[in-house]
Amino acid sequence: MIAANAQGLQGTVGLHEFCVLANEQVARDTFRLEISSLVAKRIQPGQFMNFAVPGDPTHILRIPLSFSHADAPDSHVTMYYVTVGEGTKRLSSMRTGDISTVVGPCGKGWRLPEDLSGRCLLVSGGIGLAPIAAAAGMLSDAGIAYDVIAGFQTAARIPERLISEMEPLLADDAKIHLATDDGSYGFAGFTTRLMEQLIAEHSYGCVLTCGPEVMMHGIAAICAREGIACQASMERMMGCGFGACGACNIPLVAGGYASCCMDGPVFDAKEVAW
Amino acid sequence: MVSGVNMAVNLGGIKMRNPINTASGTFGFGWQLEGFYDVSMLGAITTKGTSAVPWEGNPAPRLCEVTSGIMNTIGLANPGVAGIVEKFGAYLAGLEDRGCRVIMQAAGHSIEEYRDAVRLIEELAPFASGVELNISCPNIARGGRLVGGTPEDASEVVRAVRPLVSRPLLVKMAPVRVPEIAKACEDAGADALSLINTINAMSIDIHTRRSRLSKPTGGLSGPAIHPIAVRMVWEAARAVSIPINGIGGIATGADAAEMILAGATAVTIGTQNLPDPTAGPRILAELEQWAVEQNVSDINELVGAFEC
Repeated sequence: MIAANAQGLQGTVGLHEFCVLANEQVARDTFRLEISSLVAKRIQPGQFMNFAVPGDPTHILRIPLSFSHADAPDSHVTMYYVTVGEGTKRLSSMRTGDISTVVGPCGKGWRLPEDLSGRCLLVSGGIGLAPIAAAAGMLSDAGIAYDVIAGFQTAARIPERLISEMEPLLADDAKIHLATDDGSYGFAGFTTRLMEQLIAEHSYGCVLTCGPEVMMHGIAAICAREGIACQASMERMMGCGFGACGACNIPLVAGGYASCCMDGPVFDAKEVAW
Repeated sequence: MVSGVNMAVNLGGIKMRNPINTASGTFGFGWQLEGFYDVSMLGAITTKGTSAVPWEGNPAPRLCEVTSGIMNTIGLANPGVAGIVEKFGAYLAGLEDRGCRVIMQAAGHSIEEYRDAVRLIEELAPFASGVELNISCPNIARGGRLVGGTPEDASEVVRAVRPLVSRPLLVKMAPVRVPEIAKACEDAGADALSLINTINAMSIDIHTRRSRLSKPTGGLSGPAIHPIAVRMVWEAARAVSIPINGIGGIATGADAAEMILAGATAVTIGTQNLPDPTAGPRILAELEQWAVEQNVSDINELVGAFEC
């Protein structure tokens, strides 16, 4: 390990036990999971964890999840997730008191904006609001004001509990703008259109975004046009989460690929070859 | 050893403190696992396949999950021998000093590329105890067919590389025509054989009608391939007298024990490292416990001890 340290190559990802404190449905196909785990002591906003979910030995991979809030003193971490595949459906059946393991903290998370004087805009699509909530916490701790655009397919998918957890952190003049694709709640339309309206009214120094790649591409394009710094939290199918397998590649403007789990998941949007 | 069982093995001249090795492409360059345990407790690690020049690898998606396994089409993305030694050489040399053998895997798309990769490994990576030749790559110069897909082709590439390698040379075989290719590699000068590599497979998204990978086919690994790998290790062990490094879906000490009984001297953990990063020390402990239960004083007594 001495040689590893000398090279700055000491692995920082560990294996931690967790205990489910709560795992409850909060919106259509959407769950809030709260765990007790020592991973809470080290995890930073925008990083993720890889969950082992018991119950099906024919599915061998872990499930990567980002988090919305970590409480280091109490060793609690809160996740919001949507049941999109077999693994997240299995995760939704875990009950209070169940025990398993997480690998983490994985990757590189959100960075504080270089210009601390500017206002930030956080833009999420779907359950991308969870890591955006962690970014909101980070900015609040740093005293940086921000507005939020949270887009969803439809009103039934809005996790009101997560939004109510974010509201107390907002500055007095700040706001969470909700949008739905089908117009069933809030702004009717995509987050990119709502963002165009907001940037016409306010000046933003940076944008942090997490959601479907097609949405983030649109957000990144607006930022590039307006000269606004933009960080995007990317998603890939992952094998390990700690740089061992090379599966989660993100194409770069400079050529070649970066590793989503080691170099990301948060990237400078202008470096990504969308 | 706490148990009193000798676990040390000799894999074609690579003296390992125990039979546990890690498969190329599932263990990074070792340091990524140091946050989980002291990697030097393993018998050996095998690096990601390294080419003479950097390879970018394939576009996303490179990986999908299937029943009891995964499929990949990483495309041997790697920073090239010089890039690897610059970034990780000090760590790998330190790992050797700590008692864990480092096996540098060489990859190429033609015989000349293999020769270039191996020359660079000889020059830049003197710390490594062994070189593993991955002959499961597509031979671009020959229409993309496997470099080592026939006994003749396997023999040709091993003979071309053998004189350039001053250290023990392992050959990682594709899971095809195992007894013939194993014999051809032995005759061409291999010191040990590593098998099996992933099995070429296919998974289709029925909604989009597209491959679930960025290429039509990919390599299947994990528990799904384990019984096939055991059979192939057994076939290879009967065909040659050089040691076998058994690979394929090892997830438990029992899986590793099966490989040893089938004729493997060393056992290599691959896919299991991804969801289960402490698989190495766990499987080592389970294997040693099995040796105790088998009432042997030396794990080598169990190599090829399968009774049919």
